[in-house]
Amino acid sequence: MKRLHLVSWLAAALVVAACGSTGGGGTSNTNSYSGKTIKLGAILSITGAGGVYGPQSRDGMNLAVKQINNSGGVNGAQIALTINDDASLQPQSAQVAQKLIQEEQDLALLGPTLSNSAVAVHPLAESLKTPILAVSTTGINIVPNCNAPSTVPCKYVFRDSLGEETAIPDNIKSYAADSHPSTGVLLVAQDDKFSSDGGTIVQKTVGQYNINLLKTIKFNKAEADLSPYVTQAVQLKPDVIFITSLGNIPSKIMTEARKQGWTGQFLGGNGFNTATVSKAAGDAGKGARSASAWYLGNTFPSNQDFVTAYRAEYNKDPDQFAAQGYAAIKILADAAKRANLTFTDLAGDRDKLRAAMESVNIQTPLGPFQFTSTHDVKQTVWVIAMDGVGGFTLVHQINAS
Amino acid sequence: MDQQILNAIFIGSIYALFAVGYTLVFGVLDILNLAHSAVFMLGAAVTYSLVVNHGQAFWLACIVGVVVSGVMGLVIEHVCLRPLRRRKAPPIAALISTIGLALIIVAAIEQGQTGSFFAWLWVDGPNSVAFPAGTFPNPTWHVGDLTLEAAKVAIIPISIVLMLVLGYVIRYTQVGRGLRAVAENPRAAQLMGLDVDRMISLTLVISSALGGLAGILFGAALGDINPYIGRDNVEVRGLAVIVLGGMGSVPGAVVGGYLLGFIEVGALVALGSSARGGVAFAALFLMLVLRPQGLFGAQLRERI
Repeated sequence: MKRLHLVSWLAAALVVAACGSTGGGGTSNTNSYSGKTIKLGAILSITGAGGVYGPQSRDGMNLAVKQINNSGGVNGAQIALTINDDASLQPQSAQVAQKLIQEEQDLALLGPTLSNSAVAVHPLAESLKTPILAVSTTGINIVPNCNAPSTVPCKYVFRDSLGEETAIPDNIKSYAADSHPSTGVLLVAQDDKFSSDGGTIVQKTVGQYNINLLKTIKFNKAEADLSPYVTQAVQLKPDVIFITSLGNIPSKIMTEARKQGWTGQFLGGNGFNTATVSKAAGDAGKGARSASAWYLGNTFPSNQDFVTAYRAEYNKDPDQFAAQGYAAIKILADAAKRANLTFTDLAGDRDKLRAAMESVNIQTPLGPFQFTSTHDVKQTVWVIAMDGVGGFTLVHQINAS
Repeated sequence: MDQQILNAIFIGSIYALFAVGYTLVFGVLDILNLAHSAVFMLGAAVTYSLVVNHGQAFWLACIVGVVVSGVMGLVIEHVCLRPLRRRKAPPIAALISTIGLALIIVAAIEQGQTGSFFAWLWVDGPNSVAFPAGTFPNPTWHVGDLTLEAAKVAIIPISIVLMLVLGYVIRYTQVGRGLRAVAENPRAAQLMGLDVDRMISLTLVISSALGGLAGILFGAALGDINPYIGRDNVEVRGLAVIVLGGMGSVPGAVVGGYLLGFIEVGALVALGSSARGGVAFAALFLMLVLRPQGLFGAQLRERI
């Protein structure tokens, strides 16, 4: 009898152990995920000033969703992604975020495109405990201090975009090493967070490379006539003009400066990194350098597949924003796969997804991807130059330190 | 001559051309037509759309752009002004109705996207666009330190000639005398046999056509056309110009336009870039305190 008892206990223990290992191994995930929908909402600037970047993010995201869903989804669950245009306006961006979180009950959000909008959207997502993955915001304090000046790290905010605090110094450092410029002028849109953050970084950096910043010229982003500002910059005859603005402003400044006969070097930020800007600048922008999170010809294993699939889907080359959008969906899919989602407890699922995002470790077109402890990226930086006809050429590759 | 002086003359010409239309309506009707900045934008948008989306020649598109703007003047009169005038509504009602129309025009352009109801008019939504290179000849010349770009240089004589023609029409033609009579005393003008409504319609058409042309020149020279160019660049500045020059005075608007151009660029050069807007409006404030009637307010006995 005693022996029978022992066998019973052993059998029971084995059953419990087996159930436990099944739960951890993911087989049961498939069952609970099958036939379900993972709702994601992207807030992008399809129109307005950020309209030169948002559509590429959208195309990259849609491609990734299509690939994942066509190959069986996330443990059998399909991803349903909605693209929501914020017209590059901060209030609209926040309204859309609120709707996606509370009415649409999306599991996680992506975006917004512009740092200027992120300062409204990210704290909202944080307060409503909804994971949000920034795909193109590069300003200061996007992660971890989304509620800056508070230094309490935001738990739900992540980004897969390369911060200007890394990109701009890398770009200046590489150009300083190549050409030893001694003077510069900074043109900055004072009423835009992205541009003014970039300006602050330029001001902090130039001294390290013995570049004398002759003047910082501020203007408002809606100002159509930039000629007086450009004249002021050109008359100082700097070696470098730094442009930290976005949208159509960089190309307008470049065109005007070249018309006024200036032949020096343009250095910029993330605002340069799309074909639309390079094309608008045309010959005037040829050689303009920026540091990018991605380069078309990078040899990371998954990049080639991404580029081939993107070309097949859209009949054009992707850009950095498309790569970051694509990577973001892959990141969220990987986290969702490992998060043991219940699909019944939204708040619990959002928390589980957030936790799983912290341990993402996958290959993306941006390279091997893991978040840092501050939810930021650590990745290879590509210094690229506009080619004068709408594309970019690689100048330097700076590996992640 | 410094490049900045040229920059000031160039932008001053745009301000002047825009403000002449603004002030003309005020001179005749004692009403601020705040839809004027929307017509400025509409002229540029229609011209761009005809060239890029409908494949028309630039010059033809410009003419159509000006005509559409002029017709918009009739819409302003018949929708926003005349019905209120009939009911003897106070001027503030007309001001608000023109703001309403401006918002509708801007919203219509904003909604213009491929597949939308307004796609025939505009397909770029709130985005900023520019005429493609080669749409019109635009050589750049270098004279000493000066850079002369054809599209910008052309604005200066076009604006000056148009303003002189307008000045001549107002002063020396029968139509001009009619306008001045209506401006002076509409009731007396009517009793003298003038068709006041017709004169007011004509004022709106001339004003809006000039506003639309200013928008076209602005868009062509600066490579920036979007639904907000009027609101962001000339609406409030236009008000500043007519206050500086004297409300309702056409010569005042011309001088005020150039003055504002020089004040803005001067502030930028002397005090730094962030002072540009502030100094311009400080000058406006000063003018209101020291000489509320504006530069030409007292000298002109006659309106417009």
